Amino acid sequence: MLNINNLHVELEDEDKAILKGLSLTVPAGEVHAIMGPNGSGKSTMSYVLSGKGGYEVTGGTATLDGVNLLDMEPDERAAAGLFLAFQYPVEIPGVGNMTFLRTAVNCQRKARGEEELSAADFLKIIREKAKSLKIDAEMLKRPVNVGFSGGEKKRNEILQMAMLEPKMCILDETDSGLDVDAMKLVSDGVNALRDGKRSFLVITHYQRLLDHIKPDVVHIMADGRIVKSGGPDLALEVEHNGYADILAEVAA
Amino acid sequence: MSTITDKPQVKDGVDQDTVDAVQSVGDKYKYGFETDIEMDFAPKGVNEDIVRLISAKNEEPEWMTDWRLDAFRRWQAMVEPEWAMVHYPEIDFQDLYYYARPKSMAVKPKSLDDVDPKLLATYEKLGIPLKEQMILAGVEGAEGAPVDGRRVAVDAVFDSVSVGTTFRDELAKAGVIFCSISEAIREYPDLVKKYLGSVVPQSDNFYATLNSAVFSDGSFVYIPPNTKCPMELSTYFRINAENTGQFERTLIIADKGSYVSYLEGCTAPKRDTNQLHAAVVELVILEDAEIKYSTVQNWFPGDENGMGGIYNFVTKRADCRGDRAKVMWTQVETGSAVTWKYPSCILRGDDSSGEFYSIAIANNYQQADTGTKMVHLGKNTKSRIVSKGISAGRAQNTYRGLVSMHPKAKNSRNYTQCDSLLIGDKCGAHTVPYIEVRNNSSRVEHEATTSKVDDDQLFYCRQRGIDEEAALALIVNGFAKEVLQALPMEFAMEAQALVAISLEGSVG
Amino acid sequence: MKLAQAKTDAAEARVNRSDLPTGGKWANEARLAALTRLHGAGLPGRRDEYWRFTRPDDLNRADAPAADLLKTGESPVFGDLDRLKLVFVDGVLDRDQSDAMAMQHVEIETLADAAAADIHWARDIYGVLETAGQAPVERPLAALNTALAENGLVIRVTGKAPRPINLQYLRRDQCADAVVHHVIKVESGAELTLLENGPGAARLSKVAEVDIADGGIFHHVRTQGRDHQRRAHTHIFARLGKESEFKSFTLTVNGALTRNEYVITLHGDDARAHVAGACTGDGATGAFHQDDTVFIAHDAVNCESRQVYKKVLRNGATGVFQGKILVQPGAQKTDGYQISQGLLLDDDSQFLAKPELEIYADDVACSHGSTVGAIDEGAMFYLMSRGVPKSRAQELLVLAFLAEALEEIDSETIRDDIRDRLAAWVERHSG
Repeated sequence: MLNINNLHVELEDEDKAILKGLSLTVPAGEVHAIMGPNGSGKSTMSYVLSGKGGYEVTGGTATLDGVNLLDMEPDERAAAGLFLAFQYPVEIPGVGNMTFLRTAVNCQRKARGEEELSAADFLKIIREKAKSLKIDAEMLKRPVNVGFSGGEKKRNEILQMAMLEPKMCILDETDSGLDVDAMKLVSDGVNALRDGKRSFLVITHYQRLLDHIKPDVVHIMADGRIVKSGGPDLALEVEHNGYADILAEVAA
Repeated sequence: MSTITDKPQVKDGVDQDTVDAVQSVGDKYKYGFETDIEMDFAPKGVNEDIVRLISAKNEEPEWMTDWRLDAFRRWQAMVEPEWAMVHYPEIDFQDLYYYARPKSMAVKPKSLDDVDPKLLATYEKLGIPLKEQMILAGVEGAEGAPVDGRRVAVDAVFDSVSVGTTFRDELAKAGVIFCSISEAIREYPDLVKKYLGSVVPQSDNFYATLNSAVFSDGSFVYIPPNTKCPMELSTYFRINAENTGQFERTLIIADKGSYVSYLEGCTAPKRDTNQLHAAVVELVILEDAEIKYSTVQNWFPGDENGMGGIYNFVTKRADCRGDRAKVMWTQVETGSAVTWKYPSCILRGDDSSGEFYSIAIANNYQQADTGTKMVHLGKNTKSRIVSKGISAGRAQNTYRGLVSMHPKAKNSRNYTQCDSLLIGDKCGAHTVPYIEVRNNSSRVEHEATTSKVDDDQLFYCRQRGIDEEAALALIVNGFAKEVLQALPMEFAMEAQALVAISLEGSVG
Repeated sequence: MKLAQAKTDAAEARVNRSDLPTGGKWANEARLAALTRLHGAGLPGRRDEYWRFTRPDDLNRADAPAADLLKTGESPVFGDLDRLKLVFVDGVLDRDQSDAMAMQHVEIETLADAAAADIHWARDIYGVLETAGQAPVERPLAALNTALAENGLVIRVTGKAPRPINLQYLRRDQCADAVVHHVIKVESGAELTLLENGPGAARLSKVAEVDIADGGIFHHVRTQGRDHQRRAHTHIFARLGKESEFKSFTLTVNGALTRNEYVITLHGDDARAHVAGACTGDGATGAFHQDDTVFIAHDAVNCESRQVYKKVLRNGATGVFQGKILVQPGAQKTDGYQISQGLLLDDDSQFLAKPELEIYADDVACSHGSTVGAIDEGAMFYLMSRGVPKSRAQELLVLAFLAEALEEIDSETIRDDIRDRLAAWVERHSG
């Protein structure tokens, strides 16, 4: 599904290398977690994959189902099936949440040559999906993320993910700022989308999210590349001992 | 697309239409066609003979001719104002046609059935139905039922003359007078004499004075006491002929306790020369009456290189003469090469209120200098200003406004919010408010911000699969939401589509 | 045409009343050029947009209107600070009352001495910043000052000045018409705090041209006060280099007419300019008209500017604020902020404002706000319900209203000093 090979990325303005030979493969249907100390390049990776400006790719490749992601515009990547759940979802004043989602859904369908959803169908689907995430109708009418609590914003991200039905989902610290109940709700939402084909890349600092969203593989990222990969136990090890031991071991 | 299930969703659905418009409208200015029709022109230039000729063409009584001549003599002593932040080559006022009438209109058609089919076709093409069973454009072309079955009466002005006015009989039953101003001067001289020039005096400013001398047509509305106008009224202005100035005059009188919502639309063909449009709109609002006046101004803005386009120099003013009178101006200004326009409110009556909602979009080489004046004279008067300016390309966009609290305007309030959005680093956004407070029981609050379209918002939209132009249209419509919501539904849709179209080519 | 002629005539009349300065070398050239500028523009006219809210008549008049001297026992502000004090009486430096003109890292000369030199660094600043400040709006009264000024100081700062310089402007003559012009150059990395106080003259025209090199810091605090009938018109022209800082605060109390103009250009990247003013006007002790007119031009990347103005007005006092932020093409990452607020304590007073933004770059965050109103009745009631008498409650709320402007003063000691003076004034004019 997602294939990242020896990816090198610098900040456009500062000439500073962030990703230094990142390689990672997420097969279809699997859930991979990425953990790592602050500044290791986790969020940069999610931004570079989704096409945010301000970064320069100086080497390597990233493909989704064999298609080169790096040449595409952000909206083309989205239509190709890549979804990023933002660590800090952006507020867009004046634009209704529902309008926003309907525009996104239909733009993507159009880009893929599919028929657009009618208003009635859209309404039906979104109401269903919103219900399971405990998002009430009032929240759908409010402007995108404006005045949402931290938990509401994250639930809204998952609702968008559910509506857009991407192939590959990247969750960038979706657990940050969530209390236990909200985390459960969000995780249930994610788990409901696991269907054996869809892949997930879960970026997190904490093991607790992985209690809810069980990963197949855990990667440790440091200084712009993956330094260690393993099973779910690796996350537990980090939780107990921190990163120091692993980093020392890698350095040795 | 717009199968709308219940009211709250309508507003959401409206935004969707914007995006549809971006995708469906291929040509940037879809009203740029020209109607090939035989015209009668008065000779070029302006002098007392031309003024008399216009007056004669309209079969006006002598008092009106004298009024015009008086204005013309004053105008000759005046100079063009220079204070606005707009620059354009000197206008040769002697090189314009001041009167252009389709030949077929030489004899006034008895009814719409007698109107030249070419003219009717023009309005049809513009989406303005002159047949009474149709409703106003804006929702036209959209699938499904219209938002509601509201009907709109239309006065269609083509160059210098009114082509026809719909729903007149039905309006007459309610006592509402809706006709061209030329007709009103002949048929209702007492009303016209009493109110014409009473809000915008003959010599108010350079352009208004010129208009007073040479206006050829426009709309006249009188709503009798305690009457809610049974339908929305609208005037659709079309400039067609080349080198022709359009000088229309609108006078609306809302008598005690009455209400009317009035819409105004404007378009012109694409030409590479500039054309002058200098209108005057006067609103008289008596005790407990209310006027809502909405404009979607979409005159040809000139091309991407700044060639052509309309010079739009307009004086609009509302006089809340009675206690508790209310007026609301809503304008969406997307067209014209140069706009100079300040719809104003004189809040004379106690407890009267004025509102001004504006979206001004300037792209390419457009220049807009627009805003409002809120002059508080009466006690407990209220005003609200919401202005959203959007600049793109090499355009310059200025908000200019006055809020004045006179010593006797005790306990009055004003709130002003004035935001500017910049798209690209070659354009400009300017804010020039005047605040004059001369009593201490009143309160004035003014806020203004200027910023660019947020990169994070754009990226967020695009990550969800929305392409750049659609994302921009979405964000800009969100920025202007408060104003769009102030428009009647039909106009709101048209306006949202216009926002998207006006911004085409401004990204990337 | 007629109007323009009247303005030129007024300028002639004003110039003819004064003797043109003599003895200057390079300065004479600058003065003659200023005269030409003045003649070109004429004196301000009542129809001029820039004088929309303030009548320039008393500033234009050939002779200064007489102004009674105020006698109070109060000690001057800044009196307790460790500072270098220089005293002007009716616009003329009084060496007997002044400290010696010497301090580490600072060179101080009189304008007359500097003007008489064959070559002098001040030549690159005197009248030069003023000339640059004549666009987009003409400031003929500043040109008049450049042409006529014989008095003033020429100050060069080469390092961190150990003490503030305090210029005191005293009055002795009922009719003195003073023209003072200072030139200040803050060299790269140098730092100076300038304090000014006192009414100056029956009519004071004061121009300061301040050139701040890269990384230089210039802080300025002044109080304009006291004599009810005095008139003053001041200009500060400042040019800011890279990473430099300019901060200026003005407290205006009393005075028949005060107009303070700033023209500040942010020339180097990452520079900061903050200007602030607190004004309390009481028309009961004579006319009170106070006008702050500020023009800040951003002409470099990543600069910050702030304008914070608060005016408390009573008994027919008039407060004016005209403030503009201009962002030139290419001045990206500009952060511009402006607030102007009027508090009207009665129905006779007025607040007139024109807060402008003119922006030609897109990556900017600029905002302005302006509010006018009476004292908050809710807050008033709350204080009174806690047993605070009405007049005291009003004093407290007035001081709270002015606090935001005072916060712009960097030095805590100076801020406290100003706050105490202000509190005393408010108490005197209470009820």
